Amino acid sequence: MARHMFRIILLGDSTVGKSSLLRRYTEGSFIPAPCPTVGVEFYSKMMELPPGIKVKLQLWDTAGQERFRCITRSFYRNAVGVLLVFDMTNRKSFEHIIEWYHEVASIQIMEKVIFLLIGHKSDLKSDCKISTEEAEGLAASLGIGFIETSAKSNTNVDLAFETLTNTIYEALKNKEIDLQEGWDGVKVIHKRTCNPQKKRRKPQEKCQC
Amino acid sequence: MELEEVPLEVLRQRESKWLDMLNNWDKWMAKKHKKIRLRCQKGIPPSLRGRAWQYLSGGKVKLEQNAGRFDELDLSPGDPKWLDVIERDLHRQFPFHEMFVSRGGHGASPAGLQRAPPCAALTARSLLQQAFWCLVQICEKYLPGYYSEKLEAIQLDGEILFSLLHKFAPVAYKHLSKQKIDPILYMTEWFMCAFSRTLPWSSVLRVWDMFFCEGVKILFRVGLVLLKHTLGSSEKLKSCQGQYETMERLRALNPKIMQEAFLVQEVRRWLLGRSYRQHPLSNSAARLL
Repeated sequence: MARHMFRIILLGDSTVGKSSLLRRYTEGSFIPAPCPTVGVEFYSKMMELPPGIKVKLQLWDTAGQERFRCITRSFYRNAVGVLLVFDMTNRKSFEHIIEWYHEVASIQIMEKVIFLLIGHKSDLKSDCKISTEEAEGLAASLGIGFIETSAKSNTNVDLAFETLTNTIYEALKNKEIDLQEGWDGVKVIHKRTCNPQKKRRKPQEKCQC
Repeated sequence: MELEEVPLEVLRQRESKWLDMLNNWDKWMAKKHKKIRLRCQKGIPPSLRGRAWQYLSGGKVKLEQNAGRFDELDLSPGDPKWLDVIERDLHRQFPFHEMFVSRGGHGASPAGLQRAPPCAALTARSLLQQAFWCLVQICEKYLPGYYSEKLEAIQLDGEILFSLLHKFAPVAYKHLSKQKIDPILYMTEWFMCAFSRTLPWSSVLRVWDMFFCEGVKILFRVGLVLLKHTLGSSEKLKSCQGQYETMERLRALNPKIMQEAFLVQEVRRWLLGRSYRQHPLSNSAARLL
């Protein structure tokens, strides 16, 4: 049986809540105002897709601050999934989504990257500066999905990652994503069939002769 | 966390030695720099640390040369572009307000300033000013280019750290090479924050005592010590089979190796300069000597 590994990257302006989203998803915890991410951080989680397919998600958190762009950029290429995150209470972060999208599009040489737009901090309903309709409009114009999430109230966090993973898996099944040597976005690990112990026995046999 | 206990008599002796040094600073710097270095490695007494850091960093001289500049800058409106970045992160930057001037752990935070009575506010303000010039020295003299737009200096130092690791901990070097873990993945936060977000606070203070005296090479040494004691033997690598496991191990370092006494002893043990004169990178690594 094959096991899959998908590499997913989270992008978006500083303070939109990328790290909180990841911490909620992987650790189930929420800390208000965590330290800003410096450079790139790394999380992982196993997911089981309905038909009994195991997928290991490699989740890359990035610093949203402009100056880290030159470091984070080198990680776009090896991602199969991208969560574009904005803060629903911060219009600028929404307006910048298109820039983040083009950032990836300009670097990613693979034909297919799966994007998902995330409107984060949906618990702060009264402060929302972007309506669901407007965000859906943007997502539709880019041809990608949209989900509203909140790490604080744990709303739709699992759903967001499951949706992205499912879409990647479907695209993979339909051969829309093509696996290339030297690209780490998707890895298919086949279970080893040979027994490593057999190898060890060989030298012993030699000694006996 | 086990702290290094300094007996009271020793502490008093150290304080009087440091007072003598600080009161005759230029003479000591000119003639007995080695002794200053040794005393920084032993740890600056907490009561004099704030003052010592200013002397060591040259922040004191900067302040004197630029009298009034801090107030001038403080009153000016500031570039909105940077204000935005600063304000976004200010409330979530835990260590920075108490890092540059440490008076037994009481930092000079803006919040503290507002709450304090007038005379204390005056002291706090002067602490802020001192801290500001130390920060200027760190950005301009100690870690030039670390916070520049392209972060080239950080990336370069990542490569240098990695090539130094080759000799210091070949097992760790091979492991990281094999798993294709770019130095930028683990050392960016270490170096950009000078370990203030990585180590326990008592260790941060000791590392900074040495850093202010000896410069960036202390960051390299600390980094190498941490890598060696995390990935430096096949025994340690047993639980780091995959890239993720290794990254996880580097993110959640063993508290034992970050403990003040252990870490400082290990850092002091390694005389980085000597064995690296012949290194192919010796030119770029020259400032580490």
